[in-house]
Amino acid sequence: MRFQDAAPDARAIVYAGIQADPLVARSAALLADADHGQRLLARAVMNGETTDAVAWRATFPGLFGPAVDGATRQRSEAILAAALEVAERGDQARSQFRGAIVEALTASLLARRVPAAAIRRERRVLFDGVRAEIHPYDVTVEVADAAEAIDCKWGARGIGPDVLHQLDDARRHADDEEVALSVALVVFDARRSCDIRLARQTAPSAGIGLVTLETLDELAVGPAPALR
Amino acid sequence: MPETVRIVLGRALDAYASLEELGEDVEDEWTYVTELAAAWRDRLAAVADERGEQSMDDAAASAIDRAIDEIARIEDPHRAIDWLSTFPQVVLFAIGVTP
Repeated sequence: MRFQDAAPDARAIVYAGIQADPLVARSAALLADADHGQRLLARAVMNGETTDAVAWRATFPGLFGPAVDGATRQRSEAILAAALEVAERGDQARSQFRGAIVEALTASLLARRVPAAAIRRERRVLFDGVRAEIHPYDVTVEVADAAEAIDCKWGARGIGPDVLHQLDDARRHADDEEVALSVALVVFDARRSCDIRLARQTAPSAGIGLVTLETLDELAVGPAPALR
Repeated sequence: MPETVRIVLGRALDAYASLEELGEDVEDEWTYVTELAAAWRDRLAAVADERGEQSMDDAAASAIDRAIDEIARIEDPHRAIDWLSTFPQVVLFAIGVTP
């Protein structure tokens, strides 16, 4: 098994520009240190119709109310500001930003347990005698005997046969080569919604780790437990 | 006088039903939409059963009404599907229970 940079196509070149936008790095850094409620705030605002900060503060009194401590409110304000910047980019751009933010957040949390140099983006995983997947994995951890391939989704609706097959293929081929590779899906959405989505899939999900909005911090601890 | 959790959640569930109708316009996702909405409706109903007679904090009730206003603005059925997952989470967070 080996990793390789994906050949950049036109879509990848445009997307690389989004990934490099400072707003993505700022949002990911804020969300890496956020709690569940603050991450939910980001999800709501980046998905939202209104871009009125006052309205969003009223929607989340647990983050902005008078009983909230100063540090929590300050971080919530910073997350709200970043999320509004994403929302104000317009429908098409915001969906690209959201995806890039989930990937960058995943990389940030992984960097708490593995060397940053081992975390790579947009990489393909190659196996002897197996045709390479067309699409690269969003985030990889390239460490001997503890490699990981991770795909990231903004919402549960992003879970579909393509991503499940791609992760399952990597897992099976690694097994065939008797090399360690954990595969996982990181979804910036509730576990309940992911479970509903997964229940309708005929593509294999057993053996794939699932990290959701509630469990993102576990990325910093170890590979996600595999689904059965 | 503060409203009860049941009354406020009742408003949320009514608004959620309209959001589900909009999401159902995406024909390819009809089954997912109905199952997703059913799962979250059950969760909200369970909270109403557990805590229905409790008084709702004014700020929490206002937060839920604000979230209802937010989903009432949605016209795009694809965004409605995103909010079929997001809205119940926001409502539950306002009440202070886990999703």
